[in-house]
Amino acid sequence: MKMVSEAQRQHAEAMLERETPVIQLVGVSREYTSRAGVVRALDDASFTIGAGEWVAITGPSGSGKSTLVNLLGCLDTPTSGKLTIDAEEVHAMSSTELDRFRADKIGFIFQQFHLIPYLSALENVMLAQYFHSMTNAADARAALERVGLGPRADHLPSELSGGEQQRVCIARALINDPPILLADEPTGNLDAANQKIVVDILRELHAAGHTIVMVTHDPEMAALAERKIALSHGKVFCHPVQNVVIKLSR
Amino acid sequence: MIPATATAAQQKPGMMDRGRAGVSLGRILLRSLKHRRARSLSALAALTVSAMVATALLTLYADLDAKLHHEFRSFGANVIATTPPLTAALLQQIQTAVGPDTLLAPIAYAVAATDRGTPVVVAGVDFAAMRKLDSWWHLETPDAWPTGPTDALLGQRAAGFVANETTVTLTYAGKPLALHGVGKLNTGGDEDSRIYIPMAAFTAWTGVQPGVLEMQVPGGEQRVNAAVAELRRSLPALHLEPVRALVAGESRIVDRTHTLMYGAMLLIALTVAVSVLATLSASVLERRRDFALMKALGASQAQLLGHFLLEALVIAAGGVLLGYILGSGLAWAIGQWNFGTATLPRLSVFPLVLLLNLSIAAAAALFPARVLRRLQPAALLKGE
Repeated sequence: MKMVSEAQRQHAEAMLERETPVIQLVGVSREYTSRAGVVRALDDASFTIGAGEWVAITGPSGSGKSTLVNLLGCLDTPTSGKLTIDAEEVHAMSSTELDRFRADKIGFIFQQFHLIPYLSALENVMLAQYFHSMTNAADARAALERVGLGPRADHLPSELSGGEQQRVCIARALINDPPILLADEPTGNLDAANQKIVVDILRELHAAGHTIVMVTHDPEMAALAERKIALSHGKVFCHPVQNVVIKLSR
Repeated sequence: MIPATATAAQQKPGMMDRGRAGVSLGRILLRSLKHRRARSLSALAALTVSAMVATALLTLYADLDAKLHHEFRSFGANVIATTPPLTAALLQQIQTAVGPDTLLAPIAYAVAATDRGTPVVVAGVDFAAMRKLDSWWHLETPDAWPTGPTDALLGQRAAGFVANETTVTLTYAGKPLALHGVGKLNTGGDEDSRIYIPMAAFTAWTGVQPGVLEMQVPGGEQRVNAAVAELRRSLPALHLEPVRALVAGESRIVDRTHTLMYGAMLLIALTVAVSVLATLSASVLERRRDFALMKALGASQAQLLGHFLLEALVIAAGGVLLGYILGSGLAWAIGQWNFGTATLPRLSVFPLVLLLNLSIAAAAALFPARVLRRLQPAALLKGE
């Protein structure tokens, strides 16, 4: 696996210095109505994430992480407040617009990989193309080669190791070149060796300028990010920007 | 390891080819059906049964009138005509008026004395015509129908009026007639008190011409009424009496059988719909994460619903093909078994069966599709 180049490092730093945030939340709340009454899962959250930034979202169970991932992934809309992603006001979008926007702007990396079991690795990557625009096997194969899985492209998920499945998931997240990667516990189901492979891939993606929003319980993983956004009882606590050079050289 | 390359989104649309390399809706669908083989086969079996039963019932239904009317022909005459002497020319006129498929059996009656001196009603008939028209008659010795010029058929009670059942002598207006009793008739009706002899022998012996005509008009109440109306118009000298109980009964039974078949078909369709609904609901629940993933990848609600609906319709179409073949076979077997004649497959029922099955599948698919609308992708993909 290739080391992060100086050019990539500089590119990442440049992205961080941009003033235009790729994600901006202003007073965002999400409430759910249940028999017990109204539950405020996310309470008046306000923060920004810059383009090319690597941010870790941390917090205990029930702190509102899933709600925040739902909103940042455009799988849900806020009850109140303004959510802007890549200069588009997501909070005002219809369900159909959100589907289109999600396919364009967000690449998901899941803890449990979520590959379709009856499609090959290649076809799983192409599935993201299918829902985005049109399929192209050569691009999908190239995406798998980027994560070191070219020779395993025609294998079913059941024939791949956990680490390989996660790399297919990453290739799928990258195939439509989304500006934001939303990684939910990306190494949570992996052994140490595969964790390292995935971490290296995330580092390279970050160095290449991708914005990464990563939900994690793991302090070591969170430490890889430039910034932590901690959640507790639906409230957001933002940590200051850390030194990206130090992080990238870990 | 991760060089920046042109991606699908950045290329010109012309350079891309949907499905060329293997991912298309059809391919996903077929792989999905194959992957969940047991569930797919279960839905296919339910929809095949539905199509089979619908095909069988609709095929039989289309042929039912002919079959039932054929059965009713074995109940005997449905119109009785009393006429002035029934000549061959008049018989021909009647046949022309009522159509060639109406069975006619002229009968002449006289009261004679047996060799024991007991009066008995003697009927002169055309045995070939009677045998067709009254196929329900029960002979003690099956097929012991008179064939000779002096052969006689003795009613069960009438046989008790003669000294010898095989050598019968009857006397009419002082003229004896020697007959050979070949069979005994047992109907439970008036026929049991009569002695039936060939028309030629009867006319030569008594000089009496036939004055009663038993008719069996095929085709149900409307056809009978039309035939009677035509006869009354063209031959007003005839006195016609439809056998009301039989004519109305036939109509009622045909109507009720139609209703029964419709009801049975609807009931079966409903049962199958419930079964398919259960199967498809389970299928949705099983694949909530797959659908949540597709949603996360940008699939619209319409795409997910379309995917699920198409899957149900593909199974339904498969069920129709299998069910039509099996149902046609079933209709043939039922026709052969119940009515003694084959019911041939009818292509005209295919569109109806297809429509019925597709409707069941669509209705069953749309109900669990509500589950898809309430999917919370993030929670599902998180494993919550």
